[in-house]
Amino acid sequence: EKMPAYKVYYFNARGRAEPTRLLLAAAGVPFEDVRFEVEKWPEYKPKMPMGQAPVLEVDGTMICQSAAMARFVARETGRAGKTNLELAKADMIVDGVADLMNAMANYHYYEPDEARKAEKKKTFFETTLPQFLGHFEKLLVANNGGDGFFAGDGLTHAETFFLCLYESISKENPNVLNAFPKLTALVERIRTYPGIKEWLAKRPQTEF
Amino acid sequence: GVHCGACRKMSVYELHYFNNRGRAEPARLLFAAAGLPYRDIRIQSEQWPEYKLKLPMHQVPVLEVDGTMICQSVAIARYVAKVTGHAGKTDLEQAKVDMLVDGIDDVMTKKGDYVWHEKDETRKMEKKNAFYETTLPQFLSRFEKLLLTNGGDGFLVGEGLAHADAWFLCLADDVLLDFPDIFTPYPKLAALVERIRTYPGIKEWLAKRPQTEF
Repeated sequence: EKMPAYKVYYFNARGRAEPTRLLLAAAGVPFEDVRFEVEKWPEYKPKMPMGQAPVLEVDGTMICQSAAMARFVARETGRAGKTNLELAKADMIVDGVADLMNAMANYHYYEPDEARKAEKKKTFFETTLPQFLGHFEKLLVANNGGDGFFAGDGLTHAETFFLCLYESISKENPNVLNAFPKLTALVERIRTYPGIKEWLAKRPQTEF
Repeated sequence: GVHCGACRKMSVYELHYFNNRGRAEPARLLFAAAGLPYRDIRIQSEQWPEYKLKLPMHQVPVLEVDGTMICQSVAIARYVAKVTGHAGKTDLEQAKVDMLVDGIDDVMTKKGDYVWHEKDETRKMEKKNAFYETTLPQFLSRFEKLLLTNGGDGFLVGEGLAHADAWFLCLADDVLLDFPDIFTPYPKLAALVERIRTYPGIKEWLAKRPQTEF
């Protein structure tokens, strides 16, 4: 079967495209990694299904929304869990991670008042984030002791989203996973995963 | 029904939420569309502080499947859709359904932002106006086009009702309370809302479900 032609469209950043890029890398699937400058965005925007990026183009069909893109690649490459229940377990982690990423974007990009921004950031790092990392650690442990992955017995889109979250939060606080040994080990497991390891070494280095 | 010797025992489904439509209703609509029985648990607020400690992320909705707990409303609805054959037929169709659900979820979250999280009354009104004057019309306009790329007179993706349609009805129910005319510029979407409302199973559920404010 001919492999489809994949293109990922996004800004020159990890951001919301990286979970999908990581899955393509893990599967050794070639893709066109389209990165446009901010000034070019108005040209691309009208072509995108919901006027947003990232977008995954598969043989000409455009899929938007970062979780939908990642799940599609995960399914196509056999990394979406083996049963509906395993997929649901991966999906719920992705959604939890996305909630946290949205909370970060909320104070970082959308809070114009500096005092409120600092307050929200403080609440995020002191309360919200540790609570959810605690939930994730428990859920990881509930999956066969926690020395594998979040769902089933393989890497899924849950791991690629989690790595992206980790990369953002650890920049602010390198000790953010100190209280969560299984999550700490999981990060290393993802980083050294064949295909992902090589991608991390060669991908463009960007701030976000 | 008829049982053959090889058929598996049916799973036991329990959906935990408050006594609202909210984030549980898409899953409830999908159970109804499939005629799949489930326990529709509605938690009282006094029970909540203790109840949440049993839940995977201390949040609702939670779908319990033979004792395994799944949280996150989008993940739950997708699971029910998959189990009941309402998720899209191919990987690509499923991805299209997923992206539409995420788009609807984004809009619901934006609405929730001013309804629940904005405490300042002036800013709340400002955000509400921006939602109804800009955000929602832009979204509906895009969705009308996306529906038209699928013919326009059926469902959002492919040939059958999928979880994207269930989510869309929930959004429609919500915004029509504030602005009954909001769908006037979008005739295909208005017809879609009716199509979902009269879908076998959903129609009966809408008539009998608890009537709650949101």
